[in-house]
Amino acid sequence: MTTYRVPGRGRVLHNRPVSFTFDGTTYQGLEGDTVASALIANGVQLMGRSFKYHRPRGPIAAGSEEPNALIGTRRGKGRFEPNTRATVQEIWDGLETNSQNKYPSLKFDIGAINDRAYMLFSAGFYYKTFMWPRSFWDKYYEPFIRAAAGLGVSPTEPDPDNYASRYLHTDVLIVGAGPAGLASARAAATAGLRVTLVDENSEPGGTLLSEPQAQIDGKPAWDWLSAELDALIDLGIRIMTRTTAIGYYHQNMIGLCQKLTDHLENPAEGAPRERMWRVRAKQVILAQGALEKPLVFDGNDRPGVMLAGSAQTYLNRYGVRVGDTAVIVTSHDSAWYAAFDLASAGTKIAAIVDTRPTPNADLVKEADARGITVLAGYTATGTSGRLRIKSVRVNKVENGKVLGAQTIACDSLLISGGWTPTLHLFSHTKGSLKWDDETQTFLPDRITEDCQIAGAGRGLWGISAAINDGAAMGAAAADALGKSVTAQTISVEDDRPGTGESHTELPTDGDPGRAKAFVDYQNDVTAKDLRLAVREGMRSIEHVKRYTTNGMATDQGKMSNINGLNIAADALGKKQPEVGLTTFRPPYTPTSFGAFAGYHKGEHFEVTRKTPIDSWAEENGAVFEPVSLWRRAWYFPKDGEDMDAAVRRECRETRKSLGMFDASTLGKIEVVGPDAVEFMNRMYTNPWTKLAPGRTRYGLLLGDDGYIRDDGVIGRLTDDRFHITTTTGGAARVLNMMEDYLQTEWPDLKVWLTSTTEQWSTIALNGPNARKLIEPFVEGLDLSDAAFPHMSIAECTVAGFPARLFRVSFTGELGFEINVPSRHGRELWEILFEAGQQYDICPYGTETMHVLRAEKGFIIVGQDTDGTVTPYDAGAGWAIGKNKTDFVGMRALKRPDLTADGRKQLVGLLTEDGVSKLEEGAQIVLDPNQPIPMKMVGHVTSSYHSDAVGRPIALALIEGGHGKTGETVYIPMPDKTIKATITSTTFYDPEGARLKL
Amino acid sequence: MTAHVDLNGACTLATSSAAHVTLLDPVARFSLRAGDGERAALSKALGITLPGKIGQCARDDSVEILCLGQDEWMILAPKDQSVKIKAACEGIYGDAPHSLTEISDREVAIQITGDKATDLITIGCPRDPDMLPVGEARRTIFDGVSAILWRDGKDEYRLDLWRSFAPHVISLLKTGCSELAAE
Amino acid sequence: MLLIHCPYCDETLPELEFTYGGEAHIARPENPADKTDDEWRDFLFIRTNVKGPHFERWRHSHGCGRFFNAVRDTVSDRFLTTYKADAPRPDLAVLVKNSDVKEPSK
Repeated sequence: MTTYRVPGRGRVLHNRPVSFTFDGTTYQGLEGDTVASALIANGVQLMGRSFKYHRPRGPIAAGSEEPNALIGTRRGKGRFEPNTRATVQEIWDGLETNSQNKYPSLKFDIGAINDRAYMLFSAGFYYKTFMWPRSFWDKYYEPFIRAAAGLGVSPTEPDPDNYASRYLHTDVLIVGAGPAGLASARAAATAGLRVTLVDENSEPGGTLLSEPQAQIDGKPAWDWLSAELDALIDLGIRIMTRTTAIGYYHQNMIGLCQKLTDHLENPAEGAPRERMWRVRAKQVILAQGALEKPLVFDGNDRPGVMLAGSAQTYLNRYGVRVGDTAVIVTSHDSAWYAAFDLASAGTKIAAIVDTRPTPNADLVKEADARGITVLAGYTATGTSGRLRIKSVRVNKVENGKVLGAQTIACDSLLISGGWTPTLHLFSHTKGSLKWDDETQTFLPDRITEDCQIAGAGRGLWGISAAINDGAAMGAAAADALGKSVTAQTISVEDDRPGTGESHTELPTDGDPGRAKAFVDYQNDVTAKDLRLAVREGMRSIEHVKRYTTNGMATDQGKMSNINGLNIAADALGKKQPEVGLTTFRPPYTPTSFGAFAGYHKGEHFEVTRKTPIDSWAEENGAVFEPVSLWRRAWYFPKDGEDMDAAVRRECRETRKSLGMFDASTLGKIEVVGPDAVEFMNRMYTNPWTKLAPGRTRYGLLLGDDGYIRDDGVIGRLTDDRFHITTTTGGAARVLNMMEDYLQTEWPDLKVWLTSTTEQWSTIALNGPNARKLIEPFVEGLDLSDAAFPHMSIAECTVAGFPARLFRVSFTGELGFEINVPSRHGRELWEILFEAGQQYDICPYGTETMHVLRAEKGFIIVGQDTDGTVTPYDAGAGWAIGKNKTDFVGMRALKRPDLTADGRKQLVGLLTEDGVSKLEEGAQIVLDPNQPIPMKMVGHVTSSYHSDAVGRPIALALIEGGHGKTGETVYIPMPDKTIKATITSTTFYDPEGARLKL
Repeated sequence: MTAHVDLNGACTLATSSAAHVTLLDPVARFSLRAGDGERAALSKALGITLPGKIGQCARDDSVEILCLGQDEWMILAPKDQSVKIKAACEGIYGDAPHSLTEISDREVAIQITGDKATDLITIGCPRDPDMLPVGEARRTIFDGVSAILWRDGKDEYRLDLWRSFAPHVISLLKTGCSELAAE
Repeated sequence: MLLIHCPYCDETLPELEFTYGGEAHIARPENPADKTDDEWRDFLFIRTNVKGPHFERWRHSHGCGRFFNAVRDTVSDRFLTTYKADAPRPDLAVLVKNSDVKEPSK
C-alpha cells in the first residue's frame, strides 16, 4: 500500500491487488481501480503530454470527460487502442498501458520545445505559418503537419475482436444511473412500463458513489443504492453499465455503445468486445448530471492540478488521496467539501482560495473549525513545478485590482469553476438551450423529442433536488405514456447543495499575453488564443471555435465550452446568449469503428447472394466476381491458366462445340392478369400485342426521360402471362419501377407482378451442340428448328424436372436457357455436365459471357450505357414499336436534346495495330496532336481480346459515331497513343447464320 | 464470404442454450395477387377466407394464408396440395381475374425457438417484437435482407427468406445463437 | 433512423423498411404526345425543392410494398403525416398547426 491509498476507503476491493504496467513499469492497484486511480495511488500524476505544446499533464478529471490522461492500451496481439481515457479504463492483471505524445520518454520529451516557442503556435497558426512559399508545401509543411497531427498512434494490425449489435424497444430509456436516473427508473417501472437504465460507468450510482456521507430515506447512500438496485431488478428494469449513450437521433432513437470485455482479464473466446444498441424509446429521460469546469489561469494544467469534484471521487470512490498537501481554488461551494473530505483522510489543506469575497458562512466556519486557512476574494495567477505542481501563486483582489502575490506550496491544486449541465444528447435532438443568469449556464429550453431532463441537467444542485426531480420526471414520462404514478418523495440528509459564480480567465497581475491559461486542455487552447481570435476578426462563436480549435478535440469541449464562451463573449463585449453555443455532435465519447461495424466484418461484411449452382462452381475451381449483391463465377481456370488463357479457351470451346453458363442471377418477373399485354405495351418500347404465346422478344425498358434502364428477353407463356427477364443488377430496380407505374399511374390495370428471380435456376447452353445435348432430356416438346425456332419459350420437363425452356442466345450461337425450380438447379447442372462430356462441354463464367456477347455487339446495360443513352444512341432503334402511341420514355425521345446532332452513339472499335487492347473507360479524341486539354469525343465502354475475331475488339460511345464508320480516332494513354478505326458493333457472324442450326 | 449451406432439406443450423435455429423442409408456396372485388370468389375457391388485414393469417389443417399487402397473399401448403390450389384458382380466373404464381423455390424457411429466440430476432430486425402478436406475421427486414417474420409462439419464430440471401442470414443467426448463450 | 407510419399497414415502423420515392403529386400526363417539350421537361426534372413541409413519396418496400405519400418537414426531418397514394393532398396549414414542438415539463 502506498501512502496515497486510504485503507478501507472507497468501493475498491482492498484485499484484491491487481498488477498492470504503465510505460513498462509494473504498478499495483486494486480491483475496482481505473488506470488513473491506481496510478495516483502510486503517486503518479504525470500521465501524458499535451497535443500542441507537449506540456506534461496528469488527469484533471475522474470520468469520461478527461482531456489529458489519454493512454494506449494493449490487450494482446492486434488489440491495441490509442486515446483510451486512463480515468475510464479499469485495470486487470496484465493490462499494458502506455503514455502518448512523447519522445523519447514521458519525463523528457523533445517535442516540449514547442512549449518554449508557444508564441508561434497561437490561434490560427496553421493558417498563418504555412502560407508561403508555395514550394515548401509538399516537402516541408505537409509532412510536418501530418507528423504532428493526430492524437496517439493508429493500430497497425487488423482488429481481431468481434463486435455485436442489437435493436431494443423500450417504453422509457433513462440515460445516467445517478440519483435522478435511479429515481426516475423506479417511478416509470412502478407504472408498469418497460424501462431501460444505462450508465457509462462500471457501476450505477453516479454522484452517490462519490458522496457516501449522504443519508437517503434514512439509510447511508451506499446501502440505499444497493437496496434500490435490487428493487429495480425485481421490477424487471434492464440495467446496463459501461454503456454510453453516444447519440440521440430522430424520434427517440438512441445509440448505445456497451463495452463488454475491455475490463476483463480473460474474456470468453470469441465474445464480442462491444455491442451497439439501437434503442427506440417511447420516452427518454436524460439524467446525465453535470460536469465540473476548471478555472482559467496561468499554469492551470500542471500535473497535480485537478477538478475538486474529481479529487473527491478519487477519495470516496477509489480510496485514493490525490496528494499530501492540497490547495483549493474555487468559485463554487462544492470544492469546499472536497477539501473537508481530504482533510479528514489525512491530506493537509494548505488553503481554500475562493474567488468570492464572502463565501458561504457555514463553510467558512467549518474550515475554521478544521484549522484551514481561507483566502476569500482571491485570484490565482500562476503555478510552479515541471512534472508535478510545487506551488500556486494567489493574489487578493480588491475593487477589481489585483494586489500582491503570495505563494503557497502544494503537491495538489484542486480547482472548481462551477458546473455545466451535461446536455450533449439533448443538443443532438436540436432541442434549444436558454442561458440562465442565475446558474451562469445554458439550460434546456424547447424540447423537440419525447424527452424529459432530470436533475443536474436542469441546473438542480444537490442529491435531494436531483433525486426528487428524477422521481417527478419518471412519473412525467409514465404520464406521457398514459400511465399514472405518484412520484415518491425521497428524503436526503447530509446533502451538499451549493452555489457559485462563473468566470472568464481569472484576473492577474502579470502580462495576460504571456499567460498559459488553458481553456481546452486537449487541443492546448488558451484564453489568450480566444481573445486573439476575436481581435483578428472572428465574430461568430463557430468561427472562434474553428480558428482556435477550442472544443474540437475528442472530448468535444466537455470542459472547455462554457469557459470558452465566457471569454469569447467578454472579448466581443456581448452577453453569452447573444454569442450562443457551438453544436454538440455525436458521439458523446469516442466510439470504436468496430462498434459501428458490428457483425459486418470478415465473411459477414455484406450480403453475398449465391445461386444454387454456386457450390458446384466453387468445388470446380471457379474464380468469382461480385455482380451487384451476387457473387458469380467469373471464369474456370484449368491447371495453371491465367484469366486470359481461361477465357480464351472458354470462348473457343463454346463456339466450337458447347458451353454451359449459370444464368440464375438474371432477374425474373412474372406478369399476370387480363391487362398483362397492355402493361407490357406501356412499359417496354417494343410492341407486345402480336407476340404469340410460346414466343419471346428482346425487350427494351426506358425511363420517362428516354434513357435505357434495362433490357432482357421476355417470353409470353399464355395470353395473360409473361415471363420477363431483367439484367442481374437491375432486377430489384426494374420491379420497383414497374410497381411504381402500376400502383400510382395505372391502378386501374388488372395485372400483377411477382418476382420469380429465385424461383428459377437458369442454365444457359450455347454452341453448335446445344440441342444435341438437351434433346434426350426434354419431354413434351419438339426441339427442332421448325417447331421450336430461335426466340421461343415452352413449358416442358428437362431430366424429369418441370422447366421453362427458352430458345435464346446471348452469344450468337445456337442457345437454350433452361429454367428449373431452384432446388433442382445444381442437380440438373451436374446431369448436363456429365452428359455434355461427349461434346467436351465447357462451363464458362461471366467474363466469357461478356466477350461472346461483345463479339455480337449485344449491349450490357450499365456498361455500354450509362443512364444518358437512348435506344437510338445504342443503335437499338429497331426495338421501338413504330405504331405505338405511348410507352415509358416515348415522349422524351422527341425532346430537342435527344434528337440533336452530336450525341454520343455506340460504335465498334478495332485498334489499327490489331494487337493493342484498349482500356475500358479510356477517353477518345479525334486529333492526337491538339493541345492539352484535348477535346474528348467519347470513351471505350467494353474491350476484350476476341479469339473468334483474332484481334482485340471494343465498343465505345462516340459523338456522332454512327456517321463516322471507317474513320480513325485516337486513344491517348500514359505511355502511347493508340490509333483505332470505327466499325460496326457486330464483329462476328453478322448474318446470324450460326443461330439457324 | 459465407459458408455453403444445403437449402434443400430440413436441418439444424445452430443450437445453444439460448436458441435453436432450424432450416425447415420446403413446402408449396404461392403468391396470390388480386383486387378487393375478387377476394370473396378466391376465398370460396380456396376454401379459406383470405384475411383482410396486413399481417393476419388464416389457416385450416394444412394450408396457411398470410395477408402481406392490400392485394397480396402468400399461400403455404403441403406439396401435394399444389395442384389442387392451382386448379381452384384457375377455375375462377375468368370471373375473378388474379395472379397466382408459384414461388415454392424462391424462399426457404428458418425456425427460431428457445428462451432467447426474441433476443436473437433483435440482432437483425429493427421492429419491436412485442408488437407482433402470436399467430401473425409481417414482411420486414433482417440485417438488410427482406424477410417474412412469423410469430408462431411466444418464443417461436419463423423467417422466410429468398434463397440466395439465406447464407448471409444463417451466418448471423449462428453467431447470435452462440453469443446469446454466452451472455 | 426515422419512424414512418405506413397508411396501408397502419403501423409505425422503422425507416429501414422503407425507400424514398421523390416528390409526390406529380402525375404522369395522360397523353404525353400532347405535351410541349417544356411541359415534358418540367414533368421530368422540375421539382419544388422546398425548405419546410415537403410532399413526397415513400414505398414500404420491405413491408406491404405499397407506394404512399407523406408530408415531411425538410428542416426538422419530421413527418407531419402520411396518406394513401390515392388520397387527396392534405391541408398544409392544419398539419403545421398540429405539429408544434412541445414545451419542457415544468
